[in-house]
Amino acid sequence: MAKKGDRGRCLIGIEGLDNILGGGIPESNIVLLAGGCGTGKTTLAFEFLVRGALAEDSSLMITTVESQDKMMSNIPKFTFFKDSMLVKGQMSIVKLEELMEEVNVSPNKMDEASIKKLLGAIGKLIASKRANRLVIDSIDTILTEIKDEALAAKFLSELSVILYKNECTAILVSSAHRCDGIEGRVADGIIMMGNLERRGDMLRTMQVIKMKGTSHSRLKYIIDITPAGTLMTPLLKGGS
Amino acid sequence: MTEEMHALVAAKLEEVGPSIAVALEFKVDSYFDVVRGLIDDFAAKKDLICIYITSSVPSATLNGALQALEINTTGLSFIDCISYSMMGQIQRTDNTVFVESPTMLENIILKVEYFSRMAGERKMMVVVDSINSFAIHNELKLLSEFMSILMNSLKMKEAYPVVLAIPDQLKPEVREMLGMVCDSIIPL
Repeated sequence: MAKKGDRGRCLIGIEGLDNILGGGIPESNIVLLAGGCGTGKTTLAFEFLVRGALAEDSSLMITTVESQDKMMSNIPKFTFFKDSMLVKGQMSIVKLEELMEEVNVSPNKMDEASIKKLLGAIGKLIASKRANRLVIDSIDTILTEIKDEALAAKFLSELSVILYKNECTAILVSSAHRCDGIEGRVADGIIMMGNLERRGDMLRTMQVIKMKGTSHSRLKYIIDITPAGTLMTPLLKGGS
Repeated sequence: MTEEMHALVAAKLEEVGPSIAVALEFKVDSYFDVVRGLIDDFAAKKDLICIYITSSVPSATLNGALQALEINTTGLSFIDCISYSMMGQIQRTDNTVFVESPTMLENIILKVEYFSRMAGERKMMVVVDSINSFAIHNELKLLSEFMSILMNSLKMKEAYPVVLAIPDQLKPEVREMLGMVCDSIIPL
């Protein structure tokens, strides 16, 4: 039986990553999934949601860039993904633009009042979907619109409160190459994705930089996105 | 003599059993007899999934040759590490995955894992063709680490890991490494 104060784990569903994290992300935590273009961030975040739907969690994605159709056409075909997940509502994909329109928030005017409205709308959406997994892809779009750093920090910390109340674990996708920005400071965990060039070969990498409440490996791993999901193995060092 | 060779390969593998990393040493002119022994006489008869990692001959060429020789290719999957490097035509099939270069060793490990997952409960044989070719493309330390990880992970899965080696063309340090990462070196 769990002791008071103990928190469960949200299994990501990517075997190697769950092992590194000692059984997944601490529930209700915010994890920043950061990295440059073509590193596999969106695919990994999507897999987190699909694996959740498979485990009968309710998964929600707020996308700031692509429509559901375009995103689905760009994501690799996972053998374990079923269209019925979207039809039955085990997984939902919502465009941020539509969410903002609903509460009359203009992306060009993200002041304190607008942020409050947007957070209210996100909270309502999480509650109505009973979502226990959330992905925002990408958080950069929102933070860029907010402009004011203090307000951006407030947005993230209030989002964190909403997630905690709703027992919802979140991955925020960011194209930042560094993790010392506001989003990195507020996030409970940071997973960095990268492209490693070795003698002309381009390898996709993943590294857990921090995960609060978890003793984890900080090794750099090479990942491969396959129809069977994301696979990972430690980077070979060749004795160097 | 030829018929004896492929039967001998199967008999040797049967003798050592699963979870034993084996290096098969043979002369280059016995290549197709050895491959027949592995695929036809051993893997097919034991209903094993055969994952064939090729770093010297493109999978399309190899597959064509195997079919011409009437070798049973059912249950055979390729990890082709050479077609991209040769800038040849990439022939995509359900049983072939490509790794862009034989130097992308981690990706080879991950492709083996991929086929292993797709195979489910079925037992598998994984053939590394060949250590000579991998040694051309990779530094020895990196290759040693790769071979050690690959062989050990396959042994944990109770697979049959098989490394092909042409001893006449093998540098002494590579053979020494082979001795370290394999449990048994079988001269044919």
